[in-house]
Amino acid sequence: MRFCRVRSVAEAVDELSRWGTEGRILAGGTDVMPQYLRGEQPPAALIDISGIDGLQGVSEVGGVTSIGTLVTLRRLATASLVAMRHPALAQAATAVGAWQTQTVATLGGNICSAAATADTLPALLVADAQLMLVSKSGRRRIGLEEFLEGPGATALRPTELLRAIEAEPLGERSAEGYVKVGRRSAMDLAVVGLALRLSVTPTGVVNNARIAVCGGTRPPHRVPSAEAAVVGTQLVDGRLDCTDAGAELASAAAPERAREAEYRRRVLPRLLSRLAERCVAGISGVGS
Amino acid sequence: MPGAAGEQSVSIRLIVNERRHQLDVGAGETLLSMLRERLSLLGPKEACCEGECGACTVLMDGAPVASCILAAGSTNGRTVLTVEGLAGTGELTALQQAFVSHAAVQCGYCTPGVLMVLTALLEDTPDPSEADVRRALAGTICRCTGYQQIVEAALDAAQLMIRAATS
Ligand SMILES: Cc1cc2nc3c(=O)[nH]c(=O)nc-3n(C[C@@H](O)[C@@H](O)[C@H](O)COP(=O)(O)OP(=O)(O)OC[C@H]3O[C@@H](n4cnc5c(N)ncnc54)[C@H](O)[C@@H]3O)c2cc1C
Ligand code: FES
Ligand code: FES
Repeated sequence: MRFCRVRSVAEAVDELSRWGTEGRILAGGTDVMPQYLRGEQPPAALIDISGIDGLQGVSEVGGVTSIGTLVTLRRLATASLVAMRHPALAQAATAVGAWQTQTVATLGGNICSAAATADTLPALLVADAQLMLVSKSGRRRIGLEEFLEGPGATALRPTELLRAIEAEPLGERSAEGYVKVGRRSAMDLAVVGLALRLSVTPTGVVNNARIAVCGGTRPPHRVPSAEAAVVGTQLVDGRLDCTDAGAELASAAAPERAREAEYRRRVLPRLLSRLAERCVAGISGVGS
Repeated sequence: MPGAAGEQSVSIRLIVNERRHQLDVGAGETLLSMLRERLSLLGPKEACCEGECGACTVLMDGAPVASCILAAGSTNGRTVLTVEGLAGTGELTALQQAFVSHAAVQCGYCTPGVLMVLTALLEDTPDPSEADVRRALAGTICRCTGYQQIVEAALDAAQLMIRAATS
């Protein structure tokens, strides 16, 4: 196995096209290194992108948040721009592993590993995240939901590098959040993770809802039937009735054969109600 | 096992406990094995080797990392601090002193990692709440103490440091 340290995106895509399926990008390495140490088939080359400054940074320009692939989960958990404009993402980053994990784990790595339990993915899905990919032959842009092809499987080609993630910041009269349930309160993978983003009109009618889940047998995904059940609902006394949406979430989880499927079906409606309550409390300037 | 069979090496420069090093490390070598086997720094412990237990925790550019799953090759240009670097001048830090007076060390296997993550916490959050301390400890497992003495030592050290800074 070779260790190829690259200093720029141009060098990275050169190495990727040279090694093809034999090369493996190394970002924080919190997925790559344990796999290697466990004795899984090593790649011919590790392509270390961690020193590329151009892949860092979080900014908001023209109503779009751009996050470099190397931005660490710790940075997402603590950056004020993220806390204000993408609170669900900040909460999801905080829920990953421990401080030691978050120091090195990158957002791009969490996306490209595409685990069914990846905490940041529901939060990115409710922000309609778009991925900026680059290879020697050019650039392309793909929606996150389309990118996720199965647990651990993505639309990333062997010669492509994820460069940045673009996401829609929270607008006016909107709120969002992420909740995770695992077997213990930290250092465990999600049995269920749920992200919700809500927008309401000045008179308190939900005019936009996005709901995404992780932790099942499918890759993290949005649940359009649950979203549709929330849109059009009027807040009553500052509360949102999520009974129908909760039932939709439970029935969308029904085909899963995972060991925890029954538990997921029971817990999802309650998580949704709790999260909706938190979101509604966070939306100001709404008459009733 | 630095430089496993079939691995090519890569040259890195880094600072460990205030000393500059230039080393050739294996492509799959971890920071932990580099520290223990090349630099003879035996403070960071090897336990799970999966990033789960925190016994191998060191600070990289001031932030805690699980050195057992960090590629040594990717530490080029970084600054690493291990437990050996805490009492560099020979005197224990306030946190280490508090560990002694609170009997927060029993078998001691987790201690080097716990000290490093709490050192980072006190740097980041000089006046932490008990919840802050417990959250910071989420990635370091202690089989002996039940954590209570560790938490009390950290809170006590924080107060000592605040008093020392203001007097
Ligand atoms: C102890 C521990 C606890 C954990 N707990 C959780 C948890 O609770 N929730 C959770 O979601 N995850 C958890 N994880 C996994 C999480 O740390 C990773 O998914 C992390 O986010 C991956 O980022 P990385 O930078 O370390 O990726 P790497 O390990 O460096 O890479 C991951 C994969 O993505 C590819 N890749 C990385 N960057 C790019 C890029 N820019 N372009 C193309 N491909 C790329 C790599 O080739 C590799 O296949 C845990 C891991 C550990 C070790
Ligand atoms: S030995 Fe590194 S986390 Fe357990
Ligand atoms: S003192 Fe023994 S593991 Fe913590």
